[in-house]
Order: sequence, then C-alpha cells, then structure tokens
Amino acid sequence: MLTEQSAYTNRWRRVSPFAKGCFSLCGMIASFAAGSPRTALLVALIMTTTTTVGAGIPPLRYLRVASPALLFLAASGVSLFISLDFGSSTGGISIHPALGELPHIAMVCCRSLASLTSLLFLALTTPLPDIISLLRRCKFPDTLLDLMFLCYRTLFVLSEAVHETIIAQSSRLGYATVTLSLRSLGGLIANLTIQVWQRSQALHLAAMARNSDGALKFLENSYPHSAKSISIAATAGVLTITMAVMLP
Amino acid sequence: MHIMEGFLPIRHAIGWSAVSAPFVAYGLYTINKRVKEYPEQRMLLGVAAAFTFVLSALKMPSVTGSCSHPTGTGLGAIMFGPAAMAPIGMVVLLFQAILLAHGGLTTLGANIFSMAIVGPFAAAAIYRTAQAVRLPFGVAIFLAASLANLLTYVTTSAQLAFAFPDPSGGFAVSFAKFAGVFAITQIPLAISEGLLTVVVMNALVRFNARELQEMKVTVVQEVQA
Repeated sequence: MLTEQSAYTNRWRRVSPFAKGCFSLCGMIASFAAGSPRTALLVALIMTTTTTVGAGIPPLRYLRVASPALLFLAASGVSLFISLDFGSSTGGISIHPALGELPHIAMVCCRSLASLTSLLFLALTTPLPDIISLLRRCKFPDTLLDLMFLCYRTLFVLSEAVHETIIAQSSRLGYATVTLSLRSLGGLIANLTIQVWQRSQALHLAAMARNSDGALKFLENSYPHSAKSISIAATAGVLTITMAVMLP
Repeated sequence: MHIMEGFLPIRHAIGWSAVSAPFVAYGLYTINKRVKEYPEQRMLLGVAAAFTFVLSALKMPSVTGSCSHPTGTGLGAIMFGPAAMAPIGMVVLLFQAILLAHGGLTTLGANIFSMAIVGPFAAAAIYRTAQAVRLPFGVAIFLAASLANLLTYVTTSAQLAFAFPDPSGGFAVSFAKFAGVFAITQIPLAISEGLLTVVVMNALVRFNARELQEMKVTVVQEVQA
C-alpha cells in the first residue's frame, strides 16, 4: 500500500503522532471554517505543501494516492449539479443543470478537497500503529483498540493469502469467464473464512502460551522533542484556522 | 458506497456520528460479553475485521459486465452477528479512510450508519424472516446479502439527499436523483453480492461443515447457487 510506504519512510516519521494528529485536525476544522471556495482551496494548498515539501512525500505518489478520491469527488460534484424536474410540461422527468446552485456546489467540493488533504497529511506521515497509540492516549475503548491492532497485523497476512490463491486459481483459468470468476471468488472467500477461524485459534493459543490475561499490550515508541513538535504543530494549526476564519 | 471526506455539512457529520455511537457502544458491550464467555473470540473478531477489509479489496464481477468489490455486510452479519458488525465495520471504515483515502474521518459516522448498522441489521432481519417463513436456505442467504447491499446504498442516498435537498423539489427529488444515479451500478452489484454469498456459503457447507459447527454458525444444508 502506497500510504503505508509513505507513512514509514517520510521525513517526519519520528515526529510525535500527537503533533501530526493535532495539525491534521486543525486542517479539518479550517476546511469547515472556510467561508469561500477560495479560502478552502488555500487550506488545501497549505496542507498539500506541508505534506509534500515538509514531510517529503513525492508529489507523484501523493497524486496517485489522492486520485481515486479526487475522481469520486468529481463524480459527487456532478451528481449535485444535476437537478430533476418531475412536474415538467410533458409529464415526464426532465434533467437540467442546477446553475443557480453552482456557488454552493463549488463550496462543498472545495471544502471536501481541503478536508481530504488534511486526512492525507495524517495518513501519509503517520503509520497506523502510531495512530492507534494516539487513540489509546485519547482513552478509546480497549476492545476497539485490540480489534484495530489485530486487524492491522493480520490484514497483510490475509492479503498475501488472497494474492497467492488468485495466482493459483488464475493459472487454472479460474477467472476465464464471469461464471467461473464468481465460482472462484466464492471458493476464495469460503477458504479465507476458514483461514480467519484457524488463524484466530492459532493466535489465541500463542497468546495463552505467553500468559495472556486478555487485553493486548504493546510497547509504545518514544519521540524526541515531542513537546516542541506539538507546540509547533498547534501554532501552525491555530494559524491555519485563524486564516480560514478571517479571510472572506 | 462511501461518502467522501468533508462532503457532508458539519451538523450532519456530527449528527450521524451521534446516531451511530450508541450502536457501536452496544456492539462493544456484546463483544466484551462474548469475549468473557469465549476468550478465543477476541482474536476471531480482530481477524474478522481484517477479513472484511481484505474483502473490500477483491474485485467482484457484476452482471452488467463492470466490476466492483463485495461489502461483506450480509456475510459478516450471518457469521458474526449484526451487533458485532458495528464496531468491526467502524474499524474497517477507519482503515479504509486512513490506508486507502476511501471514505473519511468526518463522514465516518454517516458511513458507519449505512454500512455497519443498516446493512448488517437488515441482513440479519431478512435472514431470520426468510427462515421463519421456511424459504429455502439459498434464497434466504441471497435475499439477506443482496437486500442488505441495496439498503446500504438506499441509506447513503437518503443521507446525501438529507444533506443536499433539491432547490425546487426538496428531499424527495434529491433522494430520487441520488438513488437513480447510483442504481445503475448498485442494483447489479447487489445481485452479484447475493449470488457470491450463496456460492461462499455453498462452499463452506460442502467442505468445512465441521469448522462451521465449531464457529457456531447454524448451516444445515447445502445451498444451490
């Protein structure tokens, strides 16, 4: 996953996740506080520049990660732009562009873009285990955090199993037709369901063998100059929000 | 079908999060209860979350010739119960937002409501009703999986229509617009997911009946796809 690669190799990998989470949250608040599409675009520009120039994420990789979401945003914008009229003179349904709604649609799309860049800042600079540690500090329920840890640690194992099964099935023409594809996919998911059960049993046995008393506990990373990073991030975030509120 | 980051107005984002929170809390309560009784289920539910995430990365052929991914809401609700699917769905949606930029953090509440609450509860209710009226097992599975998928998309359309009512026709016209636009892809996908879930259950019953019994899934007969 491109996001994971960036999260582990970026320049700000050793910066406190609390600082990065704080700046990302401020970016989202600024997106919603922006009073015009221009201001929201400015917030998006700040967040993108911070991610690419500050954290050193290559712009092309950034674009590759953002492109599915950007396409989805474009489709959502188009669906807002279309208006239906059920009471047309011909008695049918007429479709026409909602020209009067353009400023509102522009605002929604630009806000969404700004918010997306804030999310991408966090996703591309902070590995998921660090985000889970951050949530643990924010007193999220232990059961939910355990689910997250287990999910994160097994999803790559399951992805590999899926990849290998698909290779095996494809080499036997398992995906040659639509009917065969459906049957192969059904077999793959059924096999995976059983693997889920078997792997969870093995994990449980391994945990019991190590005197597990229930909750999963992990050592947390320590980050140098954490207080300094947090104060810089908070200041930058507050400045971004202030700019979004002040600009027309 | 996820609502993307920042797309909903702030009041709607907070409102949907508030609506979803009690379901997630109840789901966590049921999980805690289950884990106390069966400690091995802690690992099972965690791996199940990874399983649901991996399912969303699989390409599923649609009857229109296009392809998309299965949601797994119907299968998950039947295998693990609808209440447990709310926290599992929350974890999966959070991971999709952070790892794939699919969905978002501000729209997490709305997406949880449509995909991890309405979908699984609808699937469980349809499955039980179908069993109560003695429909064949395969039909019950198909109806549960496909209607859960369909209801998820209807809920998302309603959420969008509620946030962006049509200037002239209000909520109803806006709902017809969103539902109409998404129906082109979602109805064939719902049928495909229904068929796929039948094939999955068929394979499970045929080859892994013992494991299913140990997982406490009550499947007693083979399903005809």
